[in-house]
Amino acid sequence: MSVRLAAITVIGAALAAIEAERGVVNDLNVYPVPDGDTGTNLALTVRAVLEELQQSDIEGIPAVAAAVTKGSLMGARGNSGIILSQIVRGLCDVWGRSADLTTADFKEALSEGATSAYRAVKEPVEGTMLTVIRKMAEAAQSVPDTLGIDRLLVAVEEAGRVAVEKTTEQLPALQKAGVVDAGGYGLLVLFRGLAAGIAELMHAGIAVSLARVALRTGEGGGAPQAPPLSAASELSAYRYCTSLLITGEAIDKAAFEAFLLPIGDSALVVGNQRMVKVHVHTNAPGVVLSEALKLGAIGEVEINDMHEQTKARDERLQDQPRLAEGTVVVAVVAGEGNKALFRELGCHAIVDGGQSMNPSAAQLLEAVDALGAEEVVVLPNNGNVILTAEQAAGMSPRHVAVVPSTSIPVGLAAMVAFDPGSDAVGNARAMQDAIADVHSAEVTRAVRDSELDGVEVRKGQAMGIVDGRLVAAGEELEEAFGGVLEEFARVEAEFVTVLTALNGSGVSRERLEELAARLTPDAEVHFHEGGQPLYPILASAE
Amino acid sequence: MTDLLTMGNTAIVLDSTCDPPPGFFERPGLYMVPLKVHFGDETYRDGVDMTYQEFFAKLEASEVLPTTSQPTAGEFLAVYEEARQTYDHVFSLHISGEMSGTVRSAEQAAEQIDGVEVYDMRTVSSALSLGAERLRARLERGCTLDEARAYIRHFIDHSSLLVHAATLEYLRRGGRIGRAASFVGGVFDIKPLICAADGTLQGYAKVRGLKKAMAAMQRFVEENSKPDDELYFATIDAINDEEPQLIREMIERLRPNSHFVLHGHVAAVVGTHIGPGTSAFAMIAE
Repeated sequence: MSVRLAAITVIGAALAAIEAERGVVNDLNVYPVPDGDTGTNLALTVRAVLEELQQSDIEGIPAVAAAVTKGSLMGARGNSGIILSQIVRGLCDVWGRSADLTTADFKEALSEGATSAYRAVKEPVEGTMLTVIRKMAEAAQSVPDTLGIDRLLVAVEEAGRVAVEKTTEQLPALQKAGVVDAGGYGLLVLFRGLAAGIAELMHAGIAVSLARVALRTGEGGGAPQAPPLSAASELSAYRYCTSLLITGEAIDKAAFEAFLLPIGDSALVVGNQRMVKVHVHTNAPGVVLSEALKLGAIGEVEINDMHEQTKARDERLQDQPRLAEGTVVVAVVAGEGNKALFRELGCHAIVDGGQSMNPSAAQLLEAVDALGAEEVVVLPNNGNVILTAEQAAGMSPRHVAVVPSTSIPVGLAAMVAFDPGSDAVGNARAMQDAIADVHSAEVTRAVRDSELDGVEVRKGQAMGIVDGRLVAAGEELEEAFGGVLEEFARVEAEFVTVLTALNGSGVSRERLEELAARLTPDAEVHFHEGGQPLYPILASAE
Repeated sequence: MTDLLTMGNTAIVLDSTCDPPPGFFERPGLYMVPLKVHFGDETYRDGVDMTYQEFFAKLEASEVLPTTSQPTAGEFLAVYEEARQTYDHVFSLHISGEMSGTVRSAEQAAEQIDGVEVYDMRTVSSALSLGAERLRARLERGCTLDEARAYIRHFIDHSSLLVHAATLEYLRRGGRIGRAASFVGGVFDIKPLICAADGTLQGYAKVRGLKKAMAAMQRFVEENSKPDDELYFATIDAINDEEPQLIREMIERLRPNSHFVLHGHVAAVVGTHIGPGTSAFAMIAE
């Protein structure tokens, strides 16, 4: 088997593993705001690696390792995806220099992966993915070089599992919520998939533990449940990327895989007898679905036309000949009203964003390149996109400056300071100054019960959050917004911007305006229809 | 012709973009040539046919955006001829040639008659009336021709004008904003500060909120004057009663030797380009 196909098999197995646990990882997010997307971000990042390999015909370890690194850097989404891409980069740096993958190589690769991940984060926090990869790398060093990869994998998995379970104690927020760190757990899931893929390659029954991790305190680790993952890949050009989940009884995975073989490629059939995740590239998605229905109930069906995706991308690139003069701004924005505001303020390109729609470094790079300008300012407008933007900036040959805007209203405040006649660095400085004293707030509904900053929140309750701190919770959005306004009044806000998306919230703008007039009488308050998802109200105070 | 110029032998002609205070031109020796505002087929003489309140009421109600046009050379000549019947000298001070063709009409008219000196003041609005007012103060005391000319040159070179504009939309549409054509205003609650420089209006700062605007205005005064300067000011507003008073209080705190000599309202032509809600001040150090 070629190096590329081997890599596809192993990474495909990792993807299948994280896809299968995507929902679980998403749900682990501590913060009770609807930004549970760690699983999604990790899965999309790994998928980008797989696609990079599938679209190329390179061979040889150095080239394949480079392609894996590139795919992960380009596809990285969210903070977890970025950290993962840095781990991958470290791993591949070592792998790319090695003749094969010996135990000694793998040890060094893990070590380099951990180092690379720590380097990517300005202020590393323990109790996260970083701790987990470090513990895994440390455990690897204690395995003698003379032992086989299989023994190494077992030891590393073990160390990873322990590290994941310990994250609960390391971060107060995790402890309070009684969960393990989402990114750390996601990393463990990926590693298990990777190990299963390697096992598949070696045709060796490596007994990598799939022991259930105690995701919530008190539940305890259960007995191994899932049988080893299996993965199979071949390549050619099928059109539809098809994935689905089959739930039934006594599902024969091997038979289903055999069925898929003649009608598609990149087939992954993962899971156990009662639940199977299927991923295949085929020209006959309907046939796949009919066959799956014979085995049980189907769900999470996703069919993507890969030809259309490619075409759409090409068209998108052709559609943007608008070359800008001077410095340009690329902003990550969600909501039609907000996008219009950014455009009016002189923003040249908008990348779709939002809490659960973090763009990849590749998407940001594409937007930057399409403008053809040498001086570019990127406004991530989300704490989870800042690292992605910085990654994109580092990969671009242009002068790209990232202004670390953590929310859409903060990004708008930065846009006010934008001067196309000044260069990217000058703009970034002015914009950073402009947002230094800006307080950012959001009002949304809790997606889970929690206790935050001393305030009890029940699922479905409205929460008012100022600068990341919960300031009010209640049944009605007005109560939460009132809490935000009181906090704004406390910091003596002079200028308040409110971006609304009140459709279906049962609250009128007039009502909010009355509240603002009463609670922040000394501030100028301006309302705009933002149209952002998930957050009925975003606000800032200056 | 005597050596000493006074208000008894010298007249000052302005155009209506000087946004004068009420009664400004009722004093002898001061003349105004109006620009014109057109709402569709209707034409009004700026500052003559409509009060500024009537103008802004009409601007709000009007479906068509008004356009403006400069006075003809003939209209200037008529005023110069009238002035010269009483006065030996005429100083004709006008809106920047970069913003309007008015000064060129005036120059053409001045070629037809003796004793008229036309100046492109490189600025607009209350800065023009402030320049006229301070020139008038010299003439009341009596000054030489050279002194009068030197003062006008000093004013052209050293006066400043800062406008807190409600919108730049009209200015941009009319092509009357200079280097800062991409300067954003009027959107996302931004009321930009624009200043006269190089004969055009240029962006000074983009601010949201009155307090930030006042801070930027203070910075502008600090940058354009020294603490012990004798400073003369003219303020104006367009349907914004409160702000000129706040500006005045801020400046009086900042610069003890400040003299507020004029307060006017934005008339139709400037109002067409700046919009209601605007305030501004002009400043000269002497």
